[in-house]
Amino acid sequence: MEDPFDLLAGWVHETFLIPLLYATGLMKWEDLAQGWALFAIYGALQVALTLALCMPLERWRPVEHWPDTKAVAVDIFYTVLSRVGVLPLVTFVLFYKVQTSLNGWIVDHGWIPPTLEHIFPILFGHPIPSFILYAIVLDCADYWRHRLSHQFRWWWALHSLHHAQRQMTFWSDDRNHIVDDLIAFVWFGAIALAIGVPPLQFPLLVLVLRFIESLSHANTRVWFGAIGERLIVSPRFHRAHHGVLAAGQRSCNYGSVLPIWDIVFRTADFSRDYVQTGDPSGEEALATGTWLEQQRAGLRRMLRA
Amino acid sequence: MTPWFRLRVLPFLLATALTPHAWADGVAFVLNSKSASVSIVDMTARREVRRIPALREPHHIVLSPDGKSLLIGDTAGNQIMFADPVTGAVQRRAPVSDPYHLAFSPNGKYLVVNGLARNQVDVYDAATLAMIKRFHVDSTPSHLDFSPDSKTAFVTLQDTDKLAAFDLTAMTPKWVEPIGPTPAGVIWLNGKILVANMGSDHVAVADPATGKILDRIVTGKGAHTLFLAPDKKILWVNNRAAGTTVSLDAQTLKIIRVYNIPGGPDDIDFAPDGTLWITRRFAEKVAVLDPGTGAFETVQVGRSPHGIWLNPKAPAP
Ligand SMILES: [Zn+2]
Ligand SMILES: [Zn+2]
Repeated sequence: MEDPFDLLAGWVHETFLIPLLYATGLMKWEDLAQGWALFAIYGALQVALTLALCMPLERWRPVEHWPDTKAVAVDIFYTVLSRVGVLPLVTFVLFYKVQTSLNGWIVDHGWIPPTLEHIFPILFGHPIPSFILYAIVLDCADYWRHRLSHQFRWWWALHSLHHAQRQMTFWSDDRNHIVDDLIAFVWFGAIALAIGVPPLQFPLLVLVLRFIESLSHANTRVWFGAIGERLIVSPRFHRAHHGVLAAGQRSCNYGSVLPIWDIVFRTADFSRDYVQTGDPSGEEALATGTWLEQQRAGLRRMLRA
Repeated sequence: MTPWFRLRVLPFLLATALTPHAWADGVAFVLNSKSASVSIVDMTARREVRRIPALREPHHIVLSPDGKSLLIGDTAGNQIMFADPVTGAVQRRAPVSDPYHLAFSPNGKYLVVNGLARNQVDVYDAATLAMIKRFHVDSTPSHLDFSPDSKTAFVTLQDTDKLAAFDLTAMTPKWVEPIGPTPAGVIWLNGKILVANMGSDHVAVADPATGKILDRIVTGKGAHTLFLAPDKKILWVNNRAAGTTVSLDAQTLKIIRVYNIPGGPDDIDFAPDGTLWITRRFAEKVAVLDPGTGAFETVQVGRSPHGIWLNPKAPAP
């Protein structure tokens, strides 16, 4: 069956990217550009679907009403930057050489990065269960990355940018300092050396995961019931993490898709009900500044910490 | 029905009924690099019948010298998957670092594997898959081919615009020479070495002994892969940016005909009926080109189809 998004990505690649790369003498990035076209098309689809589903929820049962929503605009910019793949592309291109030589060096020393399928051979030939297992393992890794980013002062200086938003909406998920994004890139790069690169052939499953992350930031009184709250991160659960009292080291609910890690590692708090968000200890530029002002403030705070 | 007609049709029907595979139906294996799968295509029906999962990113496919296994290189999965050339059933999996383009030497002794993302050219013992030699290259080894005497392997170095030659007798590098912008496909032809330069519009013709460029044949923008027809009379070149497939006289290297194959034509295999099976990277399709008429049929496959291998003798899958 034809996949209309694949074909659209192929058309964009063939019609715009290849002529551009050819004219500028950059054909060596051709394969990367094809991957990026796919990423960007599926990213745009993610944004469109999230918008279509979350906007009505925020209208239907908003937690907060704001006189104006100027502070939301910058979050839309963050979302486009990362979901349509500008930031991932830049990171990848910048670190391509480093990654190539590092991987070559590691292989020379006898380590061929395995995959989860090599570790659990029963998974061979079963791509969807493999994908789900990767999603679970990576979600656990992300829990610890997130928890540590609250622990260290210099790291929190960066991550507090994510928490500074007082007008939290479904757009706020990608609101991160670029250095924080970079650390996440290295973090998952290290994990890939241990358990392999997760399968990337399921853009629609990735879309579901990313949707849960966006939804968890939505300004809406939505929860999944006493049992559902413990299975999937809800807007109510993640809002507690963004609460003014949870900013900084003593936070709760670090999980991004699965609350199980918070339950197992004793950081879950299911009692907080639709709290106010923001970081009172942070500076105003982090909350209401432009993208550049926020990035500069985050960097300054990190260097001071 | 007239008796005359019955007479002509009856033997045909009987033959079909009694010996279902008396003549081949054919199976095509298509590697969907970005959906981590191998499409099994019924060559007669021109239809994908099933998909077998690969691991991460299968790119190129090659038949073992004994004809018993297909080797499917999976770059991001760091493995070579061995599959039955008739049914596609997985035989075994071998951990191999970043197998991008891979080929057996003509004498069947060596398997050479390019690790594009790790700047490695690895020489394996074809029988045991034990590594004999790793060459570090600068950089991004893309495609490879051999001299007919199996003494030399030629590797295009995509990002540094060079062609490298390796002595497989002494297991030493022989030479590295500039060949043209973003070289991709490489092939030995009539005592010369030909390289398709994807960052340009031509195929460079070089001296296999020295790597010095002797000639440049313009084929179209983004010249990418080179394939010699089974009768060795025609050389086929795919041009990635132009979206064309070009036939050249293998002796004179003069262009015979240009075919429009949109969607990023990449690898080719040849069917006994004279058609060319061409993967179209950005279209999720294989083009089945009739070189006589210039028309092509399409077969729907997975995302970013790259390597293709035909087994015309296999029964319908
Ligand atoms: Zn946090
Ligand atoms: Zn958050």
